[in-house]
Amino acid sequence: MTHSKTKMTAEAAVKVLARRRTNQVVVSTMTIMAPWGEEAATERDLRCVGFMGGASTIGLGVALAKPEVPVWILDGDGSLAMQLGSLLTIANAQPANFIHIVFNNGVYDTSGAQPTLARDAMSFADMAKSAGYSDTYTFNDIETLDSAFDELMEAEGPILIELMTSPIGKGYVAPSHPETEPTPALALNWPKVRQALL
Amino acid sequence: MSDIASGIPAETLFNAIRENNFTDVVAVPDTHVRTLITLLTETKDIRFIQTATEDEAVTLAAGLIIGGRKPLIQIQHAGLYACVNHLRGIGIDGQFPLVFMIGLLGRDPSKAPRDNFGSMVKYAEPLLKALEIPWYLLDTPTDMPLFDEACQKAEAQNSPVAILIGEATV
Repeated sequence: MTHSKTKMTAEAAVKVLARRRTNQVVVSTMTIMAPWGEEAATERDLRCVGFMGGASTIGLGVALAKPEVPVWILDGDGSLAMQLGSLLTIANAQPANFIHIVFNNGVYDTSGAQPTLARDAMSFADMAKSAGYSDTYTFNDIETLDSAFDELMEAEGPILIELMTSPIGKGYVAPSHPETEPTPALALNWPKVRQALL
Repeated sequence: MSDIASGIPAETLFNAIRENNFTDVVAVPDTHVRTLITLLTETKDIRFIQTATEDEAVTLAAGLIIGGRKPLIQIQHAGLYACVNHLRGIGIDGQFPLVFMIGLLGRDPSKAPRDNFGSMVKYAEPLLKALEIPWYLLDTPTDMPLFDEACQKAEAQNSPVAILIGEATV
């Protein structure tokens, strides 16, 4: 699957997921955080910036601590490429309540759309399957994703869903430089999620 | 610190982990504390979770904390160097009470870690100092009260601490 053939936008895929949002803990990272935040963020959302590739294993920790709570990871291709070992760690732990959704747009969207490595040659779904995920799926059109997702939510994890999407293309907006150091978002965010899970 | 480091029995460390109410040990295998790892993998009291990298150990531990568990991170000094950005982003910026247990593999036990010739051992304490992370060096069984102190500090300050294991466990 080459990226030039995909017609699915990340925003449309987010809407498919958002319509199914109930009690899941959702760990999102990088480009996908903005559309997800607009559509479906709740007090059970964790947003990861500054440690690329770490979203999935934060979610793994939550999944292992709370096996009764479904956990969704909204990952990126560039992010996952930075922590490929996490596929082994997740597969080894076998969290049944874990859905790993990878938005594969073939570029580093926030930094100027530079191409990701081997983007037309490899498959994250194949990697995850080989690592030992219970099952993996790849979608490149929104209709097929929409019709399949309810069933996937009932599947025993860990599963990986690779979404072949077009880039969002909004780039990265650098934060301003306030006079005093603000409390980082994650530090404000995680105690609320922890409280919601008690 | 005593003049010469001697190996702390694995069972002593294991008991300290249990007595400080750790529910999980998230680890990358470490030659230095292999006898402790053997104990941890044999017990059902504490969950032992192996990760492929130290980066993952940091984030996984953070997720466990969010879910209400109390993890200990067990890595080697090389792993500390490897996971600096995740330690910064999660431990420091994210304000997670992460307790690291770090083996100083290859340390000359007759010298303080920073006086060792080997860079793996020599730079561990200066790196922690640069990151403003408190560390506690356990050289002999008599240093074990520092283990409890480290755990209490992490909880009190919602910040990372490091427990350095000065000599291989026995």
